[in-house]
Amino acid sequence: MIGQPEFVENPENRCPVILLVDTSSSMTGAPMEALNSGLEAFKEAVLQDEQAALRVDVAIVGFGPVELVQDFVTIDQFMPMQLEAHGLTPMGEALSYALDLLENRKTTYRNNGIQYYRPWVFLITDGAPNTDSPWQQAAERLKNAEAQRKLSFFAVGVQGADMSILNQIAPPERPPLMLHGLDFRSMFLWLSDSMVRVSSSTVGGDMVALPPVGWGQIAT
Amino acid sequence: MRYLRIRYHPLSYRYSPIPKGEAVAWRAIVHSAIGTRHQQKQLPCQDYGSYVLQGDTIIGAVADGAGSAKFSDVGAQLAVKTALNTLGQQSDEWSAIDVQRMNAEANLFFTEMIQAVIAALHAEAETGEYHVRELGCTLLSFIATPHWLACMQIGDGFIVTQSEQMDSFDLLFEPSKGEYINETVFVTSEDAVAYMQVSVRAGHHPFVCAATDGLEKVAIRFHDWQAFAPFFRPFLECLRSVSAAEDRQAYLEAFLESDRLNAKTDDDKTLLLCLDGQEADA
Repeated sequence: MIGQPEFVENPENRCPVILLVDTSSSMTGAPMEALNSGLEAFKEAVLQDEQAALRVDVAIVGFGPVELVQDFVTIDQFMPMQLEAHGLTPMGEALSYALDLLENRKTTYRNNGIQYYRPWVFLITDGAPNTDSPWQQAAERLKNAEAQRKLSFFAVGVQGADMSILNQIAPPERPPLMLHGLDFRSMFLWLSDSMVRVSSSTVGGDMVALPPVGWGQIAT
Repeated sequence: MRYLRIRYHPLSYRYSPIPKGEAVAWRAIVHSAIGTRHQQKQLPCQDYGSYVLQGDTIIGAVADGAGSAKFSDVGAQLAVKTALNTLGQQSDEWSAIDVQRMNAEANLFFTEMIQAVIAALHAEAETGEYHVRELGCTLLSFIATPHWLACMQIGDGFIVTQSEQMDSFDLLFEPSKGEYINETVFVTSEDAVAYMQVSVRAGHHPFVCAATDGLEKVAIRFHDWQAFAPFFRPFLECLRSVSAAEDRQAYLEAFLESDRLNAKTDDDKTLLLCLDGQEADA
């Protein structure tokens, strides 16, 4: 079997993270702008750590319509794009899509002899799923994946988000967070710091101490 | 020629009296070096390795303390010492056991050993008033006689050997890792015995190496789990041709402490290497 060029050039362990971003029309304007500049800050922050830049493997899935905006790429190769908002909120479809994307990525790692860390899926939304979106099924699948330690799921609500639905999607040990205003920048800097910590952790159990969350609060 | 038979005594192992001028059955070197990451965090070296000689047999063990376990340096030392003591007690002449019996009973021997290790860790946790999880470590051990080699492994790290023909280096087990790179199984994990890998190989294995996972990256080719010969060959040469024991030890220590190695791995690393004395140049 011939290894894929990306893994020949960069055989580092991978620390996968999927950003699952609500790009429905309600995100138009200031929220989308703040999110886009947050993404830039994320890249810049991870780049500060040479090892993390080669290990953090990011993919971005937008959902107005579900769309793979950015396939997995390590931060050193990542060019942040301007996300645009339009359409509805197919949250359930997007979650299912992300779970499949992740399983495929793990298969690719294994086929290329690449070792990896427990992936993160990071959902950002300002709304509620479409009424016809199969979000309950997706939430069920997600719960099973969490229970089997296939991933760590984080949900972040922006003003207007239906936190009670996010509460039903997020695992009980990691309740959804409400973003302070549009402080995506702080959120992405936290994500960067967390990814740096995870991607440099060595064998010794699964407890990586995450930095304190200063950018949001647990919704009750 | 008969080698001096050494009966079990906890303190007599490493320094077993071998009369001057008599050939040593095995040449062995072992060293643990702290990883740069642990140094930065002012943590102790959480690895440990040791061996005992029993006539023409060598018994070795290495352990890697869990990074997240607070007292895993204590755990790793205790695990290695208890493992060596237990294996030493189970038989005072391993080489008298034939390979058929070893094949049938290796699991029992090693299971009993692990249970002794777990019991020792629990006793230590009680005395030190901490949770046994805080002593968590991996464990690899082996018994090499002139007729067979028996090995066990819980968690990551590797045992590599060379059979009598001495043509290739063989990896005994794939490291039992969890799905993720930063996870593994420990002696203190629930149901650790279920994760224990055991292997018995017939025949003489004049070269045996056991190491903790800090060296996996440089010694094992991950994609097909092959031992990387250029890593092992120089050590084999050193054991074979360097006649003074302290020079062999210095060679190993210089390698494990080298900047070149530390540039490739920031973890603690332990390497235990043995060569049958008969393979050594005079």
